[in-house]
Amino acid sequence: MDKYQAAFDAIIEKDDRVEPRDWMPDDYRNNLIRQISQHAHSEVIGMQPEGNWLLRAPSLRSKQVLLAKIQDEGGHGLYLYSVAETLGVSREEMIDQLHEGKAKYSSIFNYPALNWADIGAIGWLVDGAAIVNQVSLQRTSYGPYSRGMIRICKEESFHQRQGYEIMLHMAKGTPEQKEMAQDALNRFWFPSLMMFGPHDADSAHSSKAMQWKIKRESNDTLRQKFIDKTVPQAEFLGLTVPDPNCKWNEETGHYDHSPFDWDEFWAVVNGNGPCNKERLDHHKKAHNDNAWVREAAVAYAKKTESTLV
Amino acid sequence: MRITIDNDAAKFVVRLADTEMILGQRLCEMCSNGPFLEEDIALSNVALDLIGRAEQLYKIVSEIENKGLSADDYAYRRNEREYFCLKLVEQPNTDFAWTITRSYLHDVYANEVFKQLLKSDIPNLAGLSEKVLIEIRYNLTHARDWMLRLGIGTEESNSRVQGAVDQMFRYVPEIFHWDVVDNKYLSDTAAIEKSWKSEVSALLKEANIKEPELMDVVMRDYREGFHSEFLGHILTEMQFLPRAYPDAKW
Repeated sequence: MDKYQAAFDAIIEKDDRVEPRDWMPDDYRNNLIRQISQHAHSEVIGMQPEGNWLLRAPSLRSKQVLLAKIQDEGGHGLYLYSVAETLGVSREEMIDQLHEGKAKYSSIFNYPALNWADIGAIGWLVDGAAIVNQVSLQRTSYGPYSRGMIRICKEESFHQRQGYEIMLHMAKGTPEQKEMAQDALNRFWFPSLMMFGPHDADSAHSSKAMQWKIKRESNDTLRQKFIDKTVPQAEFLGLTVPDPNCKWNEETGHYDHSPFDWDEFWAVVNGNGPCNKERLDHHKKAHNDNAWVREAAVAYAKKTESTLV
Repeated sequence: MRITIDNDAAKFVVRLADTEMILGQRLCEMCSNGPFLEEDIALSNVALDLIGRAEQLYKIVSEIENKGLSADDYAYRRNEREYFCLKLVEQPNTDFAWTITRSYLHDVYANEVFKQLLKSDIPNLAGLSEKVLIEIRYNLTHARDWMLRLGIGTEESNSRVQGAVDQMFRYVPEIFHWDVVDNKYLSDTAAIEKSWKSEVSALLKEANIKEPELMDVVMRDYREGFHSEFLGHILTEMQFLPRAYPDAKW
């Protein structure tokens, strides 16, 4: 084995962090670029379903909270694009890959946000599921990703509480509000659980990523953690989890659940979810319609820099 | 329920509140529609400043009026004719040049107004103005920098920003049609107009943008609740939930 590979293996073995200057196998680099760019795009595309309610937020406070939250998500996108750039890929290339359908983003954002309680459910369930995953990624083997995750987790846990606060208002509010809250839970429950990805046995990228310590816990372990944490929160709200088999199991010490609809999952992953085309078209349109703005900024910088010299 | 505003001080403050609120709502439309991520975040951040500012101003209105109405009631339960924002801030985000030009012309105005309100005797307004002026300094720098980039950048950006300025200037004269209420609470309205014109003229010149003549267009004054057709749509969307579910608390 060559000395570079040996040095890399030693870092992973000792649970140290791999840094941008270190040698790393191509597969490791590519696996990280795929995962981090997917994560960055998810943050950015995730601005759309929430933005869908920004203009209709029902109070001055809720509008400000939502604005601040969406701004955080955009900021997370920025950290993550920067992390990926340390691996030798540019933001421009990543955006091109997104537009060409070569890079993915979390499928959950292909579901529509249909009532105000969805904004609560997205914070509570979607950010909640993301945190369970991201907490474990704070120990990921790539240094810049791990440090980015530590910052992101702090903000995400705030978002989850904000989401839960909306759910609480809605669930304890008028009958119509409670109905909206239950409707949001019904629609977001299974898609949130499927956010953790396929079962361990069927996960294409999992085993290598675990071996390299990019990924620290398996999809199924993380999913179960989330279910166990979230079911009592739904009970506190007085809402019903839309799964008749979701019951506490004394033997396993976990909540059981029904089998997931993986056909739906793969349909959405492969572009046939409710909003896949709309989300991508929206991103392309904003990017393309504003090309002239970016060109103007570059031209201005060139003109003014030359006058400074 | 028709919400009237009876006290002169409240009439004065609600004009500012509505102007900041509607501009904030317009900038919210830019979320996920910016030219690149950093700018998307910047525009949201400015929107957040504006809506936070509107909320504080509505609280002052609510205290002066003392009718048991909250800041939210003022924002969410008044109709078009009961709103008192500048027509300038109702104008749409036709393109990024419109967004920036609208903000720039507003920010110069807001900066001058809040400077005079540092000595206001309306309760809490002087303190709020101090905080607001710090934000406006950033908002104005942001808008000003973009006016220069667009004006000087490329032929296309220059022509787009010129078009936006030509259009927006139609809504400027009403800003300076001060009435008794304005003159009661602003120490020197003539100075606001003078400073606005000299700042804007200088910037347009620096940015290679031709300064249009300020011509009075026949449009009734915003101080009487007269608006462009845009406001009705803005309010319809913004007020939908509290109007559809009047008993709900959010």
